[in-house]
Parts: sequence; structure tokens; C-alpha cells
Amino acid sequence: MTTVSDTASTSAITPAPGERIGLRRPGRGERGGVLNVFSHAILVCWGLMVALPLLWAVMSAFKTDAEIVRDPIGLPDGLHWENFTTAWTTGHIGDLFLNTVIVMAGGVAGTMLLGAMAAYVLARYDFPGNRAIYYLFIAGLTLPIFLAIVPLYKVVANIGASFPWLGLNSYLMLVIVYIAFSLPFTVFFLHSFFRTLPTEIAEAAIMDGATHTKLFFKVMLPMAKPGLISIGIFNVIGQWNQWLLPTVLMQPQSGGEEKHAMLAQGLIELMVNQGYQGDYGALFAGTTMAMLPILIVYVSFQRQVQAGLTGATLK
Amino acid sequence: MATVTYSKATRIYPGTERPAVDHLDLEIGDGEFLVLVGPSGCGKSTSLRMLAGLEDVDEGTISIDSRDVTHLPPKARDIAMVFQNYALYPHMTVYENMAFALKLRKTSKAEIDRRVKEAAGLLQLEEYLNRKPKALSGGQRQRVAMGRAIVREPQVFLMDEPLSNLDAKLRVQTRSQIATLQANLGITTVYVTHDQTEAMTMGHRVAVMLDGVLQQVDTPRALYDAPANVFVAGFIGSPAMNIKTVQLTEQGAAFAEMVLPLTRQQVATAHADGGNGKVTVGFRPEDTDIVGASEGGMPIVVELVEDLGADANVYGHAAIGGASERFVVRTDRRHMPNMGDTVFIKPRSEHHHAFHAVSGSRI
Repeated sequence: MTTVSDTASTSAITPAPGERIGLRRPGRGERGGVLNVFSHAILVCWGLMVALPLLWAVMSAFKTDAEIVRDPIGLPDGLHWENFTTAWTTGHIGDLFLNTVIVMAGGVAGTMLLGAMAAYVLARYDFPGNRAIYYLFIAGLTLPIFLAIVPLYKVVANIGASFPWLGLNSYLMLVIVYIAFSLPFTVFFLHSFFRTLPTEIAEAAIMDGATHTKLFFKVMLPMAKPGLISIGIFNVIGQWNQWLLPTVLMQPQSGGEEKHAMLAQGLIELMVNQGYQGDYGALFAGTTMAMLPILIVYVSFQRQVQAGLTGATLK
Repeated sequence: MATVTYSKATRIYPGTERPAVDHLDLEIGDGEFLVLVGPSGCGKSTSLRMLAGLEDVDEGTISIDSRDVTHLPPKARDIAMVFQNYALYPHMTVYENMAFALKLRKTSKAEIDRRVKEAAGLLQLEEYLNRKPKALSGGQRQRVAMGRAIVREPQVFLMDEPLSNLDAKLRVQTRSQIATLQANLGITTVYVTHDQTEAMTMGHRVAVMLDGVLQQVDTPRALYDAPANVFVAGFIGSPAMNIKTVQLTEQGAAFAEMVLPLTRQQVATAHADGGNGKVTVGFRPEDTDIVGASEGGMPIVVELVEDLGADANVYGHAAIGGASERFVVRTDRRHMPNMGDTVFIKPRSEHHHAFHAVSGSRI
């Protein structure tokens, strides 16, 4: 240890002889240091840009409206919990929370199951049309929701005419639409993941007498766990924050029907409904509550997300 | 307990012309330990995988106990396989790894427990039953892979280079364990390796393959004493046999200042089929002595001496027919020559092998 630090300090003080004649080796450490400072500065900036608005929103949730307007970046002078009460009751955040959880649970579960199955078959079985189906999924990645939204509305409305439980303002319909829009990326991601899993283990399971179904559920799926967690969290976040699809599709069909709105819609309504008389405190309280579950999921699965994304799989 | 029969079994990989396994005819007896050996790409693993059902059979048949299994799925063949990388299920404990096949067969819990415990005892794995493969050493993983095969009590064991991921010392140790285990269980075993030492020490019989074609199948002793062709002669034995193609005379094969005697019939056979006055002769380094100058040996100039402790390999060259040829002799340590010396080498009588110069087959 001492020798290492010794040489490091001496080379820092006295310029290495090679440096002047432009040899690469001694100069590299210094350049690396400069690069490190730069990259760290950029990362710090990035971190602040992400974290500060979040903190500001949380902080503002505890302020009164007057305070927010008067001193937008100051600390709150007291904890105004009533903002949360307002958001929960008059903003119906509680009901929206439940709606969102129902749809997201179905959507993520369905996406993971169907996505993993499709990706597995496409990655590990050879059959005519395999590539075509795979590229179809990839093409789905490039399709913006906005392009599909009008025809999608028509389709859903038409189906709803015959099967009301699958039409507009139905949880099941929204779950199916979520799955459809989440599948391309899920399949794309898991496809590459299943490809990296060792063939020999699959062969061993076949020799052990596993059917294709057993092989998938008992052997391959557990082995793909890091990838499943990463893409699962990605889907949870995506579907939790989804706004456009529910806004268009969750419209009550008759006067008396209750609207099954999602959380993101509720927050928007909380904002636009107060065009004349603002209740910013409640708005920020609602936002804070909406982002909490995602934050918790992300923090608790942070390591697996990293492992899955960097491809650190099993040995 | 079963016999295995390959009959004209052929495998041609899609997109290739040359068969990976070409009309393989091989009979493996009940309880026999047969080793498939050959250089990489010779089709030995493919042959094994065809028997396992992991590879299609394009032509011919494979049967186990006179039951045609050519087109049966792996699980209907009642065989178990040990893979080179062990292929343990990483998310299951050692116990679950071994029990997996039995569970799929809906064996009763008590029976599974009995068999797994028994196999674990046999392989000294009892204390690791609750560990995941990740927490095991290479040798332990290898034993789990063996255990997974044993609990099945299959008709045939297949092993695909199961020792190649172990270090040299453990390999020697495990080699004898597997041989003993197989002898005790008496289960027909097909074992693939590229290591001729493994092949010679473990197999009841050894099948040597090259380019998808079976070259010779016999007991290790017979392979060593009477190789059927030049390839087998060069493949079995270490250091490899000295094999040279030289001028044929009426007395035998003419080396520099030395003639290795051949019988009249051998000479006649060597002349036939385009032999063109040449014959291929081989003699093993360990069957060759360093002799005195007057004893009719061949002079070689020593260029390298490998001292192995117990004995030494002497490498040298001699000019034969204008070309410089290399020879190896294994000698006693006490008679080790120095580099640059000229020594005379002579195969012991009746210990040289003659092959046809063109076809390469034994004459």
C-alpha cells in the first residue's frame, strides 16, 4: 500500500520525464483525473436537475397557497397536512389510487407473463416466421401512441357496443390496451436476455424429462429473474404514469356511470379545475402521494435494476 | 441395464455437406463403460447427443435394449446425462437439483428423499444439500451433476467431457471415482472425452473417431498394441508414436542406417494398391532404446531433452531420404544424452507397426 501511495505522490509533484517529450503513459493518469472531474460535475448537475424539482414538489405540499406564491423556494413555515386531506377527499386521490393500482396490477402481470412467454419462444425456438414476428414487435416499438389513439378509441367504442365490460371506461379494456402497448419493449428486452441463458441448462432439463411448459416455468423463468425485475419495474413506472390512454379511453358512457379515472388524470384535473381559485398545496400533495409508490419500488429494487440493465446475470 | 446399438447412424447438420457423424456402427454391451475419443470436431459429442435425443438422426437408427429410440424425445429414452459445464439449475439447491427429474416423474416424496440421500451419501454431498450451486467448488458441482444422473437410475449414463473443467489433480482423482462408481452401479455408460489418458484409464472399450468416422473400437490394450490405422497409432500414446513413411526394401522399411524388418506378406501388401515402393512405419518412444553405435540403431542428433523426473523424452532428428525427420525416444534418466549429441536409437524387436503408405491401414 505504502509504495503505491508513495509513487503516486512523487509523480504528482515532480513531472515525469516522459511528459515533456509527449510520451503517453505518465500523462494518462492526469488526463483521467480531468475527465473524472468533468464527468462528476456533469453527473452532479444531472442529479440536481432530477432531484431538486422532486424535493421542491414535496416541500410545496406542506405550504399554504399564499406561501407558495409569496416564497416559492423557501422552506415551509409549518407542516400543513391539510393539503393532503384536501387532495385525498376533494381531489379523490384515494379512489384514483385504487383504480390505478387495479389497472396497473393487471397490466403489469399480463405484460410480464405474455412478454416473457413470447420473448422466450422467439429467442429459443426455431420455427418459420420467427424473425417476422420478432420484427413485428420491434416495429411496435416505433409506433407512437398518438398515431393510434383515434382508431384505438373507435375500436374500443365498437367493441363496447357489443360487450360493455370490454368497452370504454372498463378496467379490463384498459388493462388489455396497456399490455398491448408495453409488450414490444418487454419482448425486445427479454428476448436478448433469454438468448444469453446457457443452452446446456435447458438441455439438462429436457433430459430430466421436463416438458416445454415445465422447462419454461420451472427453469428458464427463474433464471431470467434479474431481467424480469428490471423490465417489471420499467413497466410499473410506465403504466403508473400513463395519462393519454386513460384520458381518451376512460370516459363514462352514460350520465349516471362513474368515471374510472387514473391517478395521472386526477392530478391534471386537480390542476385545471382550479383555474380561477388555485389550491396549489393540494396539487403538490397529490403529486407527492402519486410518486411515493414508484419511489418505494425503485429504491427497494435498485440493485436488481442495475444488475438487470448491466447484464450481470448468473454464472 | 441395457445395451446400446448405433446402426448406420448419420447426422448432417443443416447447411453442411459433410456428415458430422458418418454411418456410425457401434454396439455397446450391458454394463459396459465405452469411451468415445477423438480430436475436437470429430463427431464424438454429436454421437452422444444423438443417443441423448438432443440431436436429430438423419439416417440409420439408434436403439437401446433393441428398442428403436431414433425418433423418441429424450425423456422417453430413460437416459441421464452429465454435461461439461455441469448445467446445474442455478436457482435450486443441490437437493432440488437432484430431485428435479424425479419430481417431474411424480415420484413420491419419501422415495425422492431416499434416492437423493443415497446418491448424496455415495458422492459425499450430504453437507451441501441445502446450498446453491454458486456456493460450491468445481469438484462439488461436478459431483452434483453426477448425483443428478444417478438418482434417476437410468438405463444408460451419458457423459460429455465431465472432467474437462476440473484442475489436473482433481481430474485424476475424479477419474478413478467415476470408474469405481460405474463399476459398482453397473449402468451402461457412454463417455466422451478428447483426453486419451481418460479414455485409456476409464474405458472398458474405447472408440476412436475422426472426421465423423469411427476408426477403431477395442479395449485400451488392443488399441495401444495394435492400432488399426495411422491415425489411431498417432492418437493413442504420449508422446505420440514416431510415424514415418520410408522406402520399402525386400527386407523391410529402410530408415537411415537401419532397416526395420517386415514379413514377406507385409511387404507384398505394402506394394499393392499404389503403395509405390513406400511404407509407413511407426514405433513408440517407450518401445525404443538408445543403443551402442555398433548395434544397428539409427543415429539422431539430439535437439531437446525433457526431464520428467522418472524418465526423460529425448527429441532429435535424422536425415532420411534427404529430408530431416524428427524422432522421440523415452529413455531412462540415467542414460540421458546432452543436446547436440548423436545417439543411436532402435525400436525393440516386434514393437514396430507397419501401415499402408496410401490408405494408412495396418498391414
